[in-house]
Amino acid sequence: MQKILIVEDDERLAHYLSSHVEKYGYRVKKVADFSKVLDTFIAYEPHLVLLDINLPMYDGFYWCRQIRQRSTCPVIFISARTGEMDQIMALENGGDDFLTKPFSPDIVLAKVRSHLRRAYGEYAAIVTERVVEQAGLKLYVERLELHYGSNEVALTKNEATIMELLLERYPRITGRTDLLEKLWDDETFVDENTLNVNIARVRKKLVELGVADGIETVRGVGYRLQLP
Amino acid sequence: MKLFFKDHMSLFMLQIVQMITIVSLLLLAGFRDWHLLLYSFLLFSFFLGFYLTYYYVTRRQFFKQLTMRMEEHDDVIRQMDHTPISRQLGETLTRQYSLYKQEIASLQKDKEDHFIFIDRWIHQMKTPLSVLELMAQDLDEPQSSHFREEIDRLKTGLHMVLYMARLRTIESDFHIKKVDVAEVLHEVKRDNKRLFIQHRMFPNVYIQESTFVETDEKWLYFILTQLIQNAVKYTDGRSDQMDVRIKEEAERTTISVQDYGVGIPSHDLKRIFDPFYTGDNGRKFRESTGVGLYLVKEVCSYLGHDIQVESEVDRGTTFTLIVPN
Repeated sequence: MQKILIVEDDERLAHYLSSHVEKYGYRVKKVADFSKVLDTFIAYEPHLVLLDINLPMYDGFYWCRQIRQRSTCPVIFISARTGEMDQIMALENGGDDFLTKPFSPDIVLAKVRSHLRRAYGEYAAIVTERVVEQAGLKLYVERLELHYGSNEVALTKNEATIMELLLERYPRITGRTDLLEKLWDDETFVDENTLNVNIARVRKKLVELGVADGIETVRGVGYRLQLP
Repeated sequence: MKLFFKDHMSLFMLQIVQMITIVSLLLLAGFRDWHLLLYSFLLFSFFLGFYLTYYYVTRRQFFKQLTMRMEEHDDVIRQMDHTPISRQLGETLTRQYSLYKQEIASLQKDKEDHFIFIDRWIHQMKTPLSVLELMAQDLDEPQSSHFREEIDRLKTGLHMVLYMARLRTIESDFHIKKVDVAEVLHEVKRDNKRLFIQHRMFPNVYIQESTFVETDEKWLYFILTQLIQNAVKYTDGRSDQMDVRIKEEAERTTISVQDYGVGIPSHDLKRIFDPFYTGDNGRKFRESTGVGLYLVKEVCSYLGHDIQVESEVDRGTTFTLIVPN
């Protein structure tokens, strides 16, 4: 399991950020003593660091330089500053990327994943293949396969995207807007009909797996996964 | 010179009246020596002329100062003549100059402090927004969506303030370079996905792979975001389409954003770029601040771009950004 170190002095942001990242199968540690960021780094040996720029004592740039003297592990800066100058400073001090607050949770994850892949290779990513599981229903995200008990079905890209979100939100409702947003890739706009068609297909595949009435429609809001 | 003559007109008159009075007095008394009369007249004029010349020469700077065309504050400060009145004028002007200077400096300082405060404050607000956004993930629907929509509104508002503040420092803040319009549009489209989905709209973008224009990337992003968000807002559910077209012409590139919504009444059309002007539509729609288009216009004039608008009520509106090549 890959380890991520979060260096963020806003306790609540650190808390929610770490629980968000943990949901996707990473181990996370939050730095508690901001005078000993480097010591924590050395002891924990993370695969990636999320580093805030404004910190008590020394700033993020300082710690990044310290880390760089010992390790080439990817460092992603987190900052509210959007100026070009700050981004240049971040890169010049050894950072690999830059996240500007307020960031969407998806972007954090996308950046974390892509840097881990770049630093440790596709092989590392496959070793830690992403599986989203709820009540025995397992989605192998990269393989586009859905397993339940001893049954399995192949999904299309869109179906997998829908399934992934439904599983992540389980047992809560998944909003239609969120589903559309996830499905909408940059080139083609996904309309409501496409979503309806895909939901119908996923329903059918769930029946094939032995889950009847797997997706409940909540009128005007979205869908909810119902697992036995 | 002119001022000098005007100023001494009364003296001239006085002298002439005096001369005529004395001459007629002598004539009435029976004095008939024309030569002496002429001679005294010449003497008279000579002294007057001598006095005036002396007066003018010693106060040349004084008159220059009074009549000069002031272009800058610093023009007030000049080397003056040594006559008391000139020196007094010089002192008064210098004093006034330094008083104004001080006041301007303190106002500028206030303005800068205010800008720094706004800038810091906006950036501070971003951490709580990030926290809220992450927290919203754990809520159930529809609360989660509502929560995030409100966060989006806060974000839009904050950005507006940030850009408004930045406009003051725009001279030091813009970098003109070749920018790919397609890429910026792509980014705007992606960042406003939720807005499109909420309003059930499909933005059609007609563009070649890459079209380059000379502009500032950050401000182009701002302008296009404003135009596209406005298009979505003022479509008001009347259409599910909006068109963004890019045309490359010989001398310029135009980017037009067309919606098929409520349109703008012709009496408002002239004033939509005025600050805080919201017009008829502003009264009907929530969150018309009258700031967005004003900022767009201001930024355009800084960047040397032009913005045009055509609109028909109930038919829709087209904003066209014109970037010269």
